[in-house]
Amino acid sequence: MVRRVLALPSGRIAVVVLVLVAFLAVLGPVLAPQNPLATSADTLTGTSGAHWLGTDYLGRDVLSRLLDGSRISVLGSLEVALTALVVGAVPGILSVYLGRAFEWITLRLADTLVALPFLLFAVAVIALLGNGISQAMLVTGVLVSPLFYRVSRAATLSVARSQYVEAAVIAGASVGWVVRRHVWLKVLPPIAVALAQTIGVGFVIVSSLTFLGIGVQPPAPTWGGLLASDLAYLSRRPWAPLAPAVLIMITVWACNLLADAIRDVSGEAGRALVNNRKARANRLDKAEPAPAGGA
Amino acid sequence: MSTESTAAPVEPVATTPSADPVSAVPSAEPVLQVDGLEVHYGLRRRRRSALGGVSLSVAPGETVGIIGETGSGKSTLARAVLGLVRASAGSIVVDGEDVGSYSPRQWRALRRKGVIQYVFQDPLRSLDPDLTIEASLAEPLLLQGVSREEAATRIRAFLSRVRLDEELLDRLPGELSGGQRQRVAVARALVTDPRLVILDEPVSALDSANRVQILQILKELRAEGVALVFISHDLGSVAGIADRIAVLYRGELVEVGAARDVIASPQHPYTRLLVGSAPTLHTAAADRAERAALRALLHA
Amino acid sequence: MTTLSEKLHVVDVEAEAERAEDTSVAADPAPVLSVRDVRISDRAGDREIVHGVSFVLTPGRAVGIVGESGSGKTLTCRAALGILPAHFEVSAGSIEIDGRDIAGLSSAEWTALRGATISAVFQDPASYLNPSIRVGAQVAEVIRVKKGVKRGEARRQAIALLRAVHLRDPELVYSQYSFELSGGMLQRVLIAAAIAAGPRILIADEATTALDVTVQAEILDLLADLREETGLALVVVSHDLAVVAQLCDEVLVLRQGEVVEQGPTRQVLHDPQHEYTRLLIAEHEQYGLDKFLAPQLAPTPDSQEDA
Repeated sequence: MVRRVLALPSGRIAVVVLVLVAFLAVLGPVLAPQNPLATSADTLTGTSGAHWLGTDYLGRDVLSRLLDGSRISVLGSLEVALTALVVGAVPGILSVYLGRAFEWITLRLADTLVALPFLLFAVAVIALLGNGISQAMLVTGVLVSPLFYRVSRAATLSVARSQYVEAAVIAGASVGWVVRRHVWLKVLPPIAVALAQTIGVGFVIVSSLTFLGIGVQPPAPTWGGLLASDLAYLSRRPWAPLAPAVLIMITVWACNLLADAIRDVSGEAGRALVNNRKARANRLDKAEPAPAGGA
Repeated sequence: MSTESTAAPVEPVATTPSADPVSAVPSAEPVLQVDGLEVHYGLRRRRRSALGGVSLSVAPGETVGIIGETGSGKSTLARAVLGLVRASAGSIVVDGEDVGSYSPRQWRALRRKGVIQYVFQDPLRSLDPDLTIEASLAEPLLLQGVSREEAATRIRAFLSRVRLDEELLDRLPGELSGGQRQRVAVARALVTDPRLVILDEPVSALDSANRVQILQILKELRAEGVALVFISHDLGSVAGIADRIAVLYRGELVEVGAARDVIASPQHPYTRLLVGSAPTLHTAAADRAERAALRALLHA
Repeated sequence: MTTLSEKLHVVDVEAEAERAEDTSVAADPAPVLSVRDVRISDRAGDREIVHGVSFVLTPGRAVGIVGESGSGKTLTCRAALGILPAHFEVSAGSIEIDGRDIAGLSSAEWTALRGATISAVFQDPASYLNPSIRVGAQVAEVIRVKKGVKRGEARRQAIALLRAVHLRDPELVYSQYSFELSGGMLQRVLIAAAIAAGPRILIADEATTALDVTVQAEILDLLADLREETGLALVVVSHDLAVVAQLCDEVLVLRQGEVVEQGPTRQVLHDPQHEYTRLLIAEHEQYGLDKFLAPQLAPTPDSQEDA
């Protein structure tokens, strides 16, 4: 699967971008040239040798804040996505196999989560668990989980009623075997798409929550937080939201690109795609030596 | 209405299946013995009968055609024998074992032995579109606990019997022709050396050349002593290969007999309609008026 | 195994076949559908798929096209209906419907022609009906649009049509939805809709393939009745030679876009020239009902009366 994703140019670009983002998340705080929390009198300056991306309304170095904030931003959105994945996809697949009662209860739970007002619920749970990025992201993940529940359930349902699963059962397969061998491959692509989408949503949520003072405490930087704080001073520094916005966009875009690449290479259509590319490449390879030989 | 001598109305009750279904069969212990099998669907008021007391036996090396229209219960019969549907009465004995009261675990153990196999009607839907042909063929062997290497060699040794090329092994079902796919579906059922294979309309969707090829494969199989049960709506598609034919109508076997007898001198009106409806090269066997009379008789 | 041709006097059959052709031409000189050396190409792949098909259909006659999937039989039908799939085109030859060449028809002219002059039924009838509208209303809609009659009258005519296709309780069927009807009943409803505007040609493309054999016979009987009663000309397409043989006067055997055999049904069945036709016949004789039934029925097949 990984090799097939990398065979696509879009898959390669996505992986490269995401590796860079991961690199930022790991080394960002170390790379930051200045203390991201140190304020100064030079507020809202433009780009300069000392401050490559200028300073914010408290005179803090924007580049340092961007680099330092990448770890919390990336970890936060990953936490949202993984929580949603575990809380949603596992019961989604199992709801098809574990009988009527489990199916009914999980379906109603998913409905309930969808119906809950998001912010109110987040504030209430954080009041209960204490204010912190982990708690906030956990709550967000649970609230997004119905997406994974629905996606994985729908994919599983279509597989579970198929004849090839019945054929496997007639050959003596157990539920575990069927899920591992037949269901997983069909459920993986839609889940991967949902995961990439959720990571993107996670970035936006971290920033909105920061803006509201939930989760991340104000001095600690995040990409979303930078975007929010800079927005207030648009008249003084109109290009300021550009850097955090571009970072968020590129990351979300790379996630979606990866999701598309996974979808494209999995299944029958994907195989045909890869084969076509191979065939075309073969033709080019054959075509190239000929003029060289003639020359 | 021109009712000829052959179209004389016969009371459906007068032609019950022969009392001893094993009669036409060489003396050997049957691979499949079904007695008084009843299957019901739905609960309480909505409960309706899908099979009402079906008795049938299949000997090793014998080919039996089960003919019936949509809703006659022919698929239910197959599903009951495979343990996918629970019987409400009667007994099913597969290879000497009474499977009527089997638990899911016992069923799984029996299925893993690969004694009884099933070929679906539509190979495109019964083969996982994301698994290569090799993976699909290996599945029944892997479930038996055979190692991957062993499965690979056994599959390769098997391919020539179903006229498949080795290079097809790493293709996906979608990349094969209809005839190749059906041969893969047949191969998957045969890799475990079953003693009984149930085939649901295995040739209906195929054109002549592929149809002949599949039937030839099955004939070779029969010669090796494997029992075959053909399920079809079309008497014509099993006529050339079945030793015996059983006609299922509204959940009951209305006629069982040697293929030649059932086709040449059908007794039950439904069987007569079946024979009269099947297109042959000389137009249908019965004329339009005769068919109309039989339809009226059956609907009365 | 002895073949049919050995049992019969080939010369007699050929003579009769020639006579049959003569009478058909003499009886009705105005063909409703004439296909002349039609070739169909796939512009995307730049390949020719159908390499020249010709036949002439006069009122009350039936032509059968036999071939395996991908042989081009459906494309030929679609060309006659003006509904070739995207990037397919008739690259050579001509098709005339009721004396008009279809090459220059505008889409408005096609709409007027379809249903009123040429009509078709296909495999898988359920997919041609809207599951959320009562089937009767869908037949009545065809009548309203094609004949310009009022609702009440359209309903009356629709029920009469449903009765004409031998549906047992036409009033009840009129008010049912497609999922409440069996495959055979749906195909009858579609035939009713197809003949609603009184077409002169009906194309049945694998129309009985997915049906039970007994139901298939009912539909084939219905088509034969319609042909006799209304002079409807039929084009019957099937992968089964026997289905075509039962209904048609003339047979075309298509293989990979090539007509490998063409002629009066009796001649093709009894004296097949091409190897592929022989294979089709041998399959029936070895594996089909013919294995048991052929000797009894050989002397007087129905098709003789038609000639």
